Amino acid sequence: MSAVNIWEKMLNIDRRWIFLGIAVVSIVPFFINFGMPVVTTTEVEDIFYYMDDLGPDNAIFVSFDFAPGTQAENMPMAVAVMRHAFHNNVPVFMTANWPLHHGMMLAAMEYVFNPSTVGFYQEVPFDDWRELREADVTAKGELVEAWENQGNQLSEGALGWVFEGRDYAAMGYAPVFNLVILGMTVSIETQYPVDAHGNSTGEMPMLQEHKSLREVDMALTSSGSGACVWWVTYAREKIGLPIAFGLTAVMATDYYPYLQAGQVIGQMGGLRGAAEYEVLLAENGITPSTDKAFTGMDVQSAAHIFIILLIIMGNLAFFAGGFHKKTLLKGGR
Amino acid sequence: MYETIGIWVGALFTLAIYSFLYKENPIYRLAEHLVVGISAGYGMAITYQITVKPRLIDPLLSGDHWILLIPGILGLLYITRFIPRISWLSRYPIGFYMGTAMGVGFPLTMKANVLRQVEGAMVPLYQSGMPWYEVLGNSVMILGTLAALIYFFFSKPHKGLFFGTGSKIGIWVIMLGFGATFGFTVMGRISLLIGRIQYLLGDWLHVID
Repeated sequence: MSAVNIWEKMLNIDRRWIFLGIAVVSIVPFFINFGMPVVTTTEVEDIFYYMDDLGPDNAIFVSFDFAPGTQAENMPMAVAVMRHAFHNNVPVFMTANWPLHHGMMLAAMEYVFNPSTVGFYQEVPFDDWRELREADVTAKGELVEAWENQGNQLSEGALGWVFEGRDYAAMGYAPVFNLVILGMTVSIETQYPVDAHGNSTGEMPMLQEHKSLREVDMALTSSGSGACVWWVTYAREKIGLPIAFGLTAVMATDYYPYLQAGQVIGQMGGLRGAAEYEVLLAENGITPSTDKAFTGMDVQSAAHIFIILLIIMGNLAFFAGGFHKKTLLKGGR
Repeated sequence: MYETIGIWVGALFTLAIYSFLYKENPIYRLAEHLVVGISAGYGMAITYQITVKPRLIDPLLSGDHWILLIPGILGLLYITRFIPRISWLSRYPIGFYMGTAMGVGFPLTMKANVLRQVEGAMVPLYQSGMPWYEVLGNSVMILGTLAALIYFFFSKPHKGLFFGTGSKIGIWVIMLGFGATFGFTVMGRISLLIGRIQYLLGDWLHVID
């Protein structure tokens, strides 16, 4: 076999071997922890520190603007910001701009409130604390005290109570969402008379304290499509609402201009952005440990090294085999 | 019980989709078609359950809010697309929606996507006390933007110092942008694979946390 044939074989390798290689390097790091560091970047730190300054008097929106296809990237971002908000007792409005995205919102809630999740929050559904609400006990500190005085105990491992209507409102999907954002600059209740669970939003203390987007302090759009710009267009430019982007990696470069122009306070790009936020949460004692995005970064690095090696080998074979002087390879390339 | 069934279904369909990497097969085709059908069905169910019913049907049945008949009828006119003889009626809701969206969206879209971006590109090349890396960064940004714009200016031949050199630099700037996008795309695709592997090894097989 001549040397040229070896190079040609390398260039015409069955791509299924490459898929197999990617599968191996993507699975092994889950069992052998390399502990690659995740260094935080300014655009993620800006969101974190902005969020960290908020408290019970503030409120944020977390908009689930992604479908299951990009769940791996977008979900950890939304979950991380939700946890940060719950830790600081910042009320969270959760919205979705498409029917499929509504399911992602419900999945995020299920994850954050699930006792099997490390560092979960124990939820109290809206109807369960009706008596306290009617007795006008709605401030978070008083509410927790009164709730525990009724004999309710925080489960082991839970980081705190979250009361539906006080700490979070699952608003969900509403059609023609760009106009819904615009409408919420005047009144949130008009756009969402009931939440995703059928509760009347007008009865919710957090809606009574934050009637429109003008009384809200930030919106994070965890987005897998161009719909993230709706928040900039209809909320940032209309009333100056600070916006944070949580974007898939594919989208990230396209949306840096919004960051550079000062239209968004920060941007989390792909799994790495989410991992950075998880690192900041853990380093600041907000969560007991990092989560899925951080775990995935070892795999990410291993896969990238493998792809870089393939690119180097491909180029080596191309030039060493003298194919740059020829017109076509056997495979037609 | 239902959760376990759901996880098994999710895992098996994940494997069915990945089987395409070996070669096209009927299992993959089945999974692909089910994704499309279930997504559409789920979307319809959610739309009815949390939009049409609570926002239109329930208020109308309660006897109040008769004003909702107007958007209700307007919405129903969309369905006339399926009846050729009166399909022209569907133009009314489409026209209403387009007109509203244009009227409301145009000024804000111009502001967000054009004026603010132009404003964002108007940065000083040099000011006293400005660190060198900021001077360099601003210069690269401004010259890069101008060069890329020159590349897309087709009313003059790309020759000479201004148009020729400018468009060549423009190509480099655009290629650098594509390179960054490609890098991010690789990261994004691997991230999606990581998500599925976490699901298969964690939620399904319980061999990782």
